[in-house]
Amino acid sequence: MSTTTAPRVRPAGYSVVRAGRAAFLLHRRAAVVAVSLVVLLAAACLACLCVGESFIAPAEVVRVITGRPSPDELVVGTLRAPRMVVGLLVGAAFGVAGALIQTVARNPLASPDIIGVSQGASALTVGAMTFGVTSYAVLPYLSVLGGLLAALLVYAFAWRGGLHATRFVLIGIGFAIALRSVTTLFMTKGDYLVAQQAQIWMTGSLNGRGWAEAAPLGWTFLILVPFVAWAARAQRTVSMDDDTATALGVRLGRVRLGLVLLGVVLASVATGAAGPVDFVALLAPQIARRVTRTAQIPLLCSALLGAFIVVVADLLARRLFSPTELPVGVLTAAVGAPYLIWLIVRSRTGGNR
Amino acid sequence: MTRLSTSALTLAYEDRTVVHDLDLAVPDGRVTVIVGPNACGKSTTLRALGRLLKPRRGSVLLDGEALTRLPTKKIAQQIGLLPQTPVAPEAITVADLVARGRQPHQHWWQQWSDADERAVTEAMERTDVAALADRSVDELSGGQRQRVWIAMALAQETELLLLDEPTTYLDIAHQVEVLDLVRQLNHDKDRTVVLVLHDLNQAARYADHLVAMKSGRIVAEGPPAEVVTADLVREVFGLDCVVVPDPVTGSPLIVPGAPWQAGARSGAASDSLSRKAAS
Ligand SMILES: Nc1ncnc2c1ncn2[C@@H]1O[C@H](COP(=O)(O)OP(=O)(O)O)[C@@H](O)[C@H]1O
Ligand SMILES: [Mg+2]
Repeated sequence: MSTTTAPRVRPAGYSVVRAGRAAFLLHRRAAVVAVSLVVLLAAACLACLCVGESFIAPAEVVRVITGRPSPDELVVGTLRAPRMVVGLLVGAAFGVAGALIQTVARNPLASPDIIGVSQGASALTVGAMTFGVTSYAVLPYLSVLGGLLAALLVYAFAWRGGLHATRFVLIGIGFAIALRSVTTLFMTKGDYLVAQQAQIWMTGSLNGRGWAEAAPLGWTFLILVPFVAWAARAQRTVSMDDDTATALGVRLGRVRLGLVLLGVVLASVATGAAGPVDFVALLAPQIARRVTRTAQIPLLCSALLGAFIVVVADLLARRLFSPTELPVGVLTAAVGAPYLIWLIVRSRTGGNR
Repeated sequence: MTRLSTSALTLAYEDRTVVHDLDLAVPDGRVTVIVGPNACGKSTTLRALGRLLKPRRGSVLLDGEALTRLPTKKIAQQIGLLPQTPVAPEAITVADLVARGRQPHQHWWQQWSDADERAVTEAMERTDVAALADRSVDELSGGQRQRVWIAMALAQETELLLLDEPTTYLDIAHQVEVLDLVRQLNHDKDRTVVLVLHDLNQAARYADHLVAMKSGRIVAEGPPAEVVTADLVREVFGLDCVVVPDPVTGSPLIVPGAPWQAGARSGAASDSLSRKAAS
């Protein structure tokens, strides 16, 4: 072959970012999308803090955020801000969780809110509520436990010497339905007031979320950040078929387990905090991927998009029929359900991917 | 000398044993070709050689050490393997896919090096896919796609390269090109190559060492000139044929009996053929 200096080939669309001996691949389009999303998200957050029963001028909101004294301290800082922060964190968590589980299952339908993880978290949480456990110090842990148990059940039933994506999704949907019924059962059995509270939680509501919920959620995600950074790279390796990935030296079993575990924990923690805000985990990764045109789901964009969806949906949920507030889950479902149907229709006509 | 070998290797899928007590030594720096009828266990054997399938009994040895005891990343730096039907991530570009071959040489904090760039560029030039670099793999023809996959395996820069039917989707010209490429790599870089091929004539042309398998066992192995005989082809493939010297290379060339014709007695065609060849 020719030994002339041909132009060097790099993965198309990537730039290399060097820092000392380290070198990272950066998808240019994904980077641009991420920056745009940050701007959009900031705007949405600002809108979220301004708009409400009383409108507060952006300048005043900025004063509160930057910690300067303001007459609107109570409304913005104590009422609206924590609710928005919970929304952000929950959305980001669902976005990442969906991306991870969809990647491992190689199927966009395999989102935690479709395959029973959210429903498992709900069932255990509502069950506990009806038995009088209402402390926010305990409920989140129960949600995580519920989500993990549901994932384990689905996995155990879907595993047959290997994990077949379609079987995994179908069994997951089955469990999701079954667990929903269990939740309903708990609610009809429970005390009327508890049932009503559980009902609101169930549709995913950010109403009344304060710093007490936001802080532990924030800490949990901070702890998980290094794992998510690992996942962003590991994800790249599991998007091939099993044989090719293994031949490239990937410890598939472990990597998959790690990714799914991380996804389930994120989805469960988020569900514990805000209830199952349906379809965010399904939508955010798929939109992110289509916009960035990357070969695997971009985690950062997925997180930002998840946060954006939840914050905007919550804003709409508060104002659309004011003074009546809708639970945010109702709005995300309004967008997500048609998309889910479209996905299923498409997967019947074209391939199983 | 042999870096890669198997000893009493038995391979099974669930309760069905597919390969029985296989002893194979892959000669270093040579092109070894495995042939045999469909479903005789060629791919299964190759997968085991590349630690994609755990032996039921026996072992695969790399430099005397069982593959099951080596870290998978270490193996990936020594052995490259291209499966029979690899699946690319949706919407991945050609250059991105080829770059995935560098995986075993990278760390999460070192995702791209000059060595990576050089290896990817060279692999793409050798396989003639450099012009496709920015195209999506989904929109390539079967032949182009196959060459991209081979480029990925080459970019891995392993001393041992295992390819499962790398010529499947290619037209005759590209088949020859790929096989020549394999020989060239073997010659220039002293790579050890193991190929599974279904075309016996191509196998005989390109192999230094030919392994004929049937029902999960090795029936014969050695240089093609010694191994390929009409008897062997009948035994392994159940095909009557004549073996003549290839007019170009002198390697054995298999010529099957005449095609079926109305009125001809079955077997008569090959009878007359072998009589003609014998005379
Ligand atoms: N993943 C699998 N699970 C079960 N059986 C398999 C699997 N792969 C191959 N087999 C069976 O093993 C036998 C050998 O297959 P293979 O090694 O692919 O044959 P070939 O020589 O055509 O490459 C066949 O009977 C095939 O049906
Ligand atoms: Mg095969």
